[in-house]
Amino acid sequence: MDSCLNLLSILILLSSFILVANKRVISYIRTFRLQSLLLAILSGVIGIYSIEKTGEIDILIVCVITFAVKVVLIPKLLKTTVTKVGYKVEKDFFLNIPISILICCGLFILTYFSVSTINDIKDAQVKAYLVNSISVILIGLFFMISRKKAIGQIIGFLVMENGLFTTAVLTTHGMPMIVELGLFFDVLTAVLIMGILVFRINENFDSIDINKLRNLKG
Amino acid sequence: MHSFNLQLLYFLILITFLSGAIVSLILSKNNRLGNIISNILYSIASLTGIITSIYFLLSDKTRIILLHINSNIPFLSFKLEMGKLSAYFILTLSILTLCVSIYSISYLSQYYGKRNTGGFNFLLGIFIVSLILVFSSGNMIVFLLAWEIMSLSSYFLVIFESELPATQKAGTIYLVMTHIATAFLTIAFLTIYAYSGSFDIANAAALIPTTVKNIIFICLVLGFGTKAGIIPLHIWLPYAHPAAPSNVSALMSGIMIKTSVFGLIQFVFVVLGGGYDWWGITLVILGSVSAVLGVAYAFMEIDIKRLLAYSSIENTGIILIGIGLSVYGYSRGNSILSSLALIAALIHLLNHSLFKGALFLGAGSVYYSTHSKNMEKLGGLIKKMPYTALFFLIACLSISSMPFFNGFISEWFTLQALFQSIGVSPQGFKLIAILAAAALALSGALAAACFVKTFGISFLGLPRSTEAQNSKEAPATMLIGSGILTLLCVVLGLFPKIALTLLNKLSYSVVHNSVVPDLKGFSSFVYYPIGLETNKISPMFILVAAIVLVGIVFCLFKLIGRGSKQRTYSTWDCGFRELNPRMQYSATGFSKPLRIIFRAIYRPSRELQTEEGTSPYYPKSMKYVVLTQSVFEKYLYIPLTHLFTSFSKKVRSSVQTGSVHTYLLYIFIAIIAMLIYYRFS
Repeated sequence: MDSCLNLLSILILLSSFILVANKRVISYIRTFRLQSLLLAILSGVIGIYSIEKTGEIDILIVCVITFAVKVVLIPKLLKTTVTKVGYKVEKDFFLNIPISILICCGLFILTYFSVSTINDIKDAQVKAYLVNSISVILIGLFFMISRKKAIGQIIGFLVMENGLFTTAVLTTHGMPMIVELGLFFDVLTAVLIMGILVFRINENFDSIDINKLRNLKG
Repeated sequence: MHSFNLQLLYFLILITFLSGAIVSLILSKNNRLGNIISNILYSIASLTGIITSIYFLLSDKTRIILLHINSNIPFLSFKLEMGKLSAYFILTLSILTLCVSIYSISYLSQYYGKRNTGGFNFLLGIFIVSLILVFSSGNMIVFLLAWEIMSLSSYFLVIFESELPATQKAGTIYLVMTHIATAFLTIAFLTIYAYSGSFDIANAAALIPTTVKNIIFICLVLGFGTKAGIIPLHIWLPYAHPAAPSNVSALMSGIMIKTSVFGLIQFVFVVLGGGYDWWGITLVILGSVSAVLGVAYAFMEIDIKRLLAYSSIENTGIILIGIGLSVYGYSRGNSILSSLALIAALIHLLNHSLFKGALFLGAGSVYYSTHSKNMEKLGGLIKKMPYTALFFLIACLSISSMPFFNGFISEWFTLQALFQSIGVSPQGFKLIAILAAAALALSGALAAACFVKTFGISFLGLPRSTEAQNSKEAPATMLIGSGILTLLCVVLGLFPKIALTLLNKLSYSVVHNSVVPDLKGFSSFVYYPIGLETNKISPMFILVAAIVLVGIVFCLFKLIGRGSKQRTYSTWDCGFRELNPRMQYSATGFSKPLRIIFRAIYRPSRELQTEEGTSPYYPKSMKYVVLTQSVFEKYLYIPLTHLFTSFSKKVRSSVQTGSVHTYLLYIFIAIIAMLIYYRFS
């Protein structure tokens, strides 16, 4: 059980490294889908485990919703957005890929050092989960900074959310159902709104490069 | 009467003021009715306030807790208490509010239907209540809250005539300055809390180290000094006072700027437990500078209310000299000096609120009937408004510290304290005390000149405008309002023992000693304390000298003038056919000699604009303007604001770049920094 969770959490971390290594907008979405799938599997494993143990099916429901929203719905929405604004292959990052990967490794090491000093967490396994999932959050944020196109920011945001979700699921074995549902709706609405915003930006600036928003400041 | 009744009376005052405010708001549709009812309620509350505070000042209790509400949050409690000092300030406030509210009944009638007098009276009530709360606050949180309510409500009162650009400017300057004051006070209070662990206004001297005490003192001086209007923090006064309606200016100048004196005494003596020599010296120097420069600027003004505002700066300076001497005496263990100086300062405070109130109300009456505050447009009002003129004259005599009026008593006390300190202090301070005495004397003389000008130009001579020509005497309630104040000026001038008796126990409670029992009185107005025989001035001798001198001059006059005849004839006009009002001595002309002497601080400049006519010898019109500069504004405030705005602009343009990535980067860096901090903490 533990080794299975450990593997999955490392895979989720790896998928965020893959995301940073991606060059094209379409592949961002694919990687995000992969990560979400891993997340769904993770919550499925925990769900089955908790059914065996206590008979609660909450986490299993969460797993199903995760699959529906994050693996199917959101990537689809994002794809329509990308196709509508006109997909072009052009350089989308400030730092080149190797440097980005190195920075992400640095972030991982930093997280490891910070989290390892938390004395109140006695369980070494939970500490390892925390390191992985907090790294995912930081990498998501870094991804938002390093990409020019607005789609990059949306994906970064979603990856951060995935990281948070992983943290929650791995350390607490499932938050109350109502909180989870709220989170899903939040993410879904955020993606919808951001998608619409991307259209608007594209309409007004003929590009979704958010550097062009510079002159909007008061 | 026991303490329960005192509490009851206190809350009765607050409730009456509040109900007056609310009634005025409810009746805001009916201007006249609302105004009359709320002002009557205010005067009843003020009368209760006078009785309560006099009773408390004379009673044996040093301090009673009026209200104490504790909350679950540890440091947040609401505490009201009354000490002797609070009672004295509430007394001053109540006398002034009594007169102002009687005065307002007619004064506000000029705004009926034009402006929201209901809202005005509401704010006035809130303002007075907040002042009472400031004076009776038992901890610093209540103090700050009440202080802030006071500042904000007075801001809205200042901008009552809000469509005028001058008023808006005055309001903005006032708001900025008052919040700078609050900022410094907050720093001081939080520092006290950090060391004493309590927000109560109680002795914390033992808990605070010396350096920190000094820092707290500097913050207090900056904070309270801004509110008091000591130079160079005074710039808001000459704007705010003329812009506000006269009844508000009377309250602001009469009592609101005194809240800072209250705070200073409360925090220096009660919380910090005395202080050091240099605190006193600083206050004396600041006070002397404010006294001289304040009145020097006042002398140049031609707007009556601006003049009065500058004169308030002078009087605050005099009060500060007293407080400074008291702090100095206390820290050197000279209890006679500290008590004498404190009493001098507090009597002057009461006196100033009386005569400055009367002067502002008088200026308001003049404005009510002529719609002008400019002296160059007035003149000859003594014939049109005899009572207003009489009251104004008495107030002018008081503020010029003429003997037999109250201003004299307090300035004489302050001088006595200064002479006393010359006798007992080491060389360094001797010089400062001598200079301060000289400064006080100079400011007294300048104040006299200033009010000769004010009264002479506005009330004597011929009317300089049709408005002054057609002016009428002010309505009865306005006369009653300023009349009570002037009556009190005379009463306190002739029988200062009244004020001294009130201050006896106060002085014990603040500096643990009182000179009042030692003051021996030859008659009702001659006093000098036992123990001060080495340096004394007896007003009795002055009186005798004055009578003798007048007698000699009179006899000489009679002797030389024997045999000459008298005839009644119009003023000699140099052969020019007829005299007109424009030929009179003008206010600007009157102040010319001083403008020449004090060129360095006034920086006068003149401008002559000529509109060319058909020939250079016959210009169409000529315009002559004399300007004096406000040195502090030009060389201190304007450069400072420029520096500040340009710095802010630079910071803004480098921080707020408009790039989303930069903003995200800020968050990122913050998180990383926190992680690193956590790792190494």
